[in-house]
Amino acid sequence: MGVEQLHDVLGDNILTTTLGKVVGWGRANSVWPAQFGLACCAIEGLMHTVGPGFDIGRFGSEAMRASPRQADLMIVAGRVSQKMAPVLRQIYDQMPEPKWVISMGACASTGGVFNNYAILQGVDKIVPVDVYIPGCPPRPEDVINALMILQEKIKAQGIRPRI
Amino acid sequence: MTTPTVPEGVLASGVVAGDDWISVTRERIRQTLAALKSEGYESYVFMTCVDHLATPTVQPPPERYELVYQLRNMRTHHELRVRVFVPESDPTLPSVHDVYAPANWDERETWDMFGISFEGHPDLTRILMPDDWVGHPLRRDFPVGGEPVDFSEDHEVWQTAPPEA
Amino acid sequence: MSDTRLEQTDSPGMTITRGPGRGPGDGELLTINFGPQHPSTHGVLRLVVDLDGEVIRTVKPVIGYLHTGIEKQMEALRWQQGVVVTDRHDYLSPPINNLAYALAVERLMGVEAPPRATVLRVIMSELTRISSHLIWLGTSAIELGAMGPFMYCLRDREKVLAMNEEISGYRMHTSYIRPGGVMADATPRFLEMLDAFIGEMPGNIQQYEDLLTHNPIFVERLQGVGYLSAEDAIRLGATGPMIRGSGLPWDLRRDRPYCDYETYDWEVAVEPAGDCYARYLVRIKEFKESVKILRQALDRLPGGPVNVDDRKMLPPPREELETSMEAVIHHFKLFTEGYSPPPGDVYVAVESGRGENGCYIVSDGTHKPRRVKFRAASFVNLQALEHMAIGHMIADFIAIIGTADTVLGDVDR
Repeated sequence: MGVEQLHDVLGDNILTTTLGKVVGWGRANSVWPAQFGLACCAIEGLMHTVGPGFDIGRFGSEAMRASPRQADLMIVAGRVSQKMAPVLRQIYDQMPEPKWVISMGACASTGGVFNNYAILQGVDKIVPVDVYIPGCPPRPEDVINALMILQEKIKAQGIRPRI
Repeated sequence: MTTPTVPEGVLASGVVAGDDWISVTRERIRQTLAALKSEGYESYVFMTCVDHLATPTVQPPPERYELVYQLRNMRTHHELRVRVFVPESDPTLPSVHDVYAPANWDERETWDMFGISFEGHPDLTRILMPDDWVGHPLRRDFPVGGEPVDFSEDHEVWQTAPPEA
Repeated sequence: MSDTRLEQTDSPGMTITRGPGRGPGDGELLTINFGPQHPSTHGVLRLVVDLDGEVIRTVKPVIGYLHTGIEKQMEALRWQQGVVVTDRHDYLSPPINNLAYALAVERLMGVEAPPRATVLRVIMSELTRISSHLIWLGTSAIELGAMGPFMYCLRDREKVLAMNEEISGYRMHTSYIRPGGVMADATPRFLEMLDAFIGEMPGNIQQYEDLLTHNPIFVERLQGVGYLSAEDAIRLGATGPMIRGSGLPWDLRRDRPYCDYETYDWEVAVEPAGDCYARYLVRIKEFKESVKILRQALDRLPGGPVNVDDRKMLPPPREELETSMEAVIHHFKLFTEGYSPPPGDVYVAVESGRGENGCYIVSDGTHKPRRVKFRAASFVNLQALEHMAIGHMIADFIAIIGTADTVLGDVDR
């Protein structure tokens, strides 16, 4: 039987879609961030976003996992110092695929206020970043906005493997 | 505000912006701090180093590195600053970690940032920079570093290191 | 490591429980690593811990994972530009950091902020103390398993951040308190919000107390844990609730007063027991005292300018630039070169949520500092961690780290 005949028989109880869309929809609405709060941005972007005022739980992301092996999003919240950079790369490597990175705040994106010997001038020097959020620190709404942009990106990715 | 009986061996003393200070030689720093501690200055506030390289003031300081210890008497609420000058050619002085316990980490930080070594310190290793870092960042001749900013003269003057010859 | 620590004397009126543990040499020690990425270390702190079973034998903190080079950065910025960077070392109390720097620069320049600015500074400091303690309370409780208070604390912190935004435009790093005064005057809406906040905060503090203070699990986990005697607190240089929780009433707002704190009617929060529970009670009391000070500050807020009237230090108002040549010159000099304090050095300390937060500045007479050193409360308090933790079990260790309330931005600068 063809799809149209199936529809006539079963009515509007069937939804047809592609596997990629379903997988993308599932992944996008349950992005679990890893707790990678480094400095001030962690208070705004990790604590207040989970808090009652802004509630990232509406988007499925309040389960901030302490272990990177259970997380799929790394929100680099804060300045990355020379000593912390290899640790950041190690945590990123420990996350299973598919994984994404949001670089939160000016310090993670570009080095921010601190253009000096001690701070990595942008976390994209060591990990690939999907969304950048400007601000010092960005408001929790900016973080949610970035998460929504990332969700569109995840849905568009479907089941294609990341290269 | 009561001033302490000035321990022997004080080179100079004075008041700057309302803060009392005395200056001693590095050979006498341990005796001076121990004497001050027994006199009631039990509270150690901080210790740091100032690099006077190329300072433009009219009266240049005696040596390049000036170590500053801030002590406090919790009963009289009086604070006293103890200065020690250390030459560039021989940046060492005795450690006071057994006189004041919090000096332990301050001395490690001063070693890390300025290259001043403290004789008798149990574990003089880098504390803020990675262990394999080369150079002492807070010295005045260590450039601020970071990324060069295109078209910024201000940046080139103080931020980037001079090009290798 | 001497094993006399296992036989530490009990604090008066209370038995300190120690894990059974075996003596040294009975078995192997297990070295484990806490962090730097860890949910309970309050930041990027790495602790290398030697364990005998579950009992801690040594603790070695490894710091530097957030070293930002703030002190070097400030040597490259002008005096007035440095205010922005001071916000970011103890990132839970930015206005208090600004205050230490502003008071130090003002002392060197020989100016004093006008009365309205002084009261606004007190208001911002106390609001910041409340918001810093709210994060401490929320995170310490959630590490011990109490997830409810975390959300309540963030609810109240949102109100403080909304007030910050109203008065300065920023939620967190306000850069509000600057040398010479404050950034801008308080708007009428800010004063309304503050009035409403003061009205409802005592009820909210009572909510936290109802949830935690007599909660048997909370009390069991904090009482008798992490004992720090008064002598050790002075010897190790601890300040803030670490020393007040050991019975010593040392508070810089009363003992080395600044911003007219001695003229307000408030009490220093002190508890004699010296354990984690005492430090918790101290901070709860500090909430209440801060609300008291805020009420008095709001009532006594005088009129007048909010910045010192010194054109060599602060720019003229914009309207003057249209009519006065001298104003234009002052504006130009201040924004291209900036002011230069006379040569000298000064140290000013203020009481932040975690202890003595001080700023030592050295001026060589130029428009950029020679040295700016931040005396960080957390840097010194962290050295007391090993002393408090030896002989306890891992679960107690989490409570002890929480009670030390260290902010790694402050530790590493």
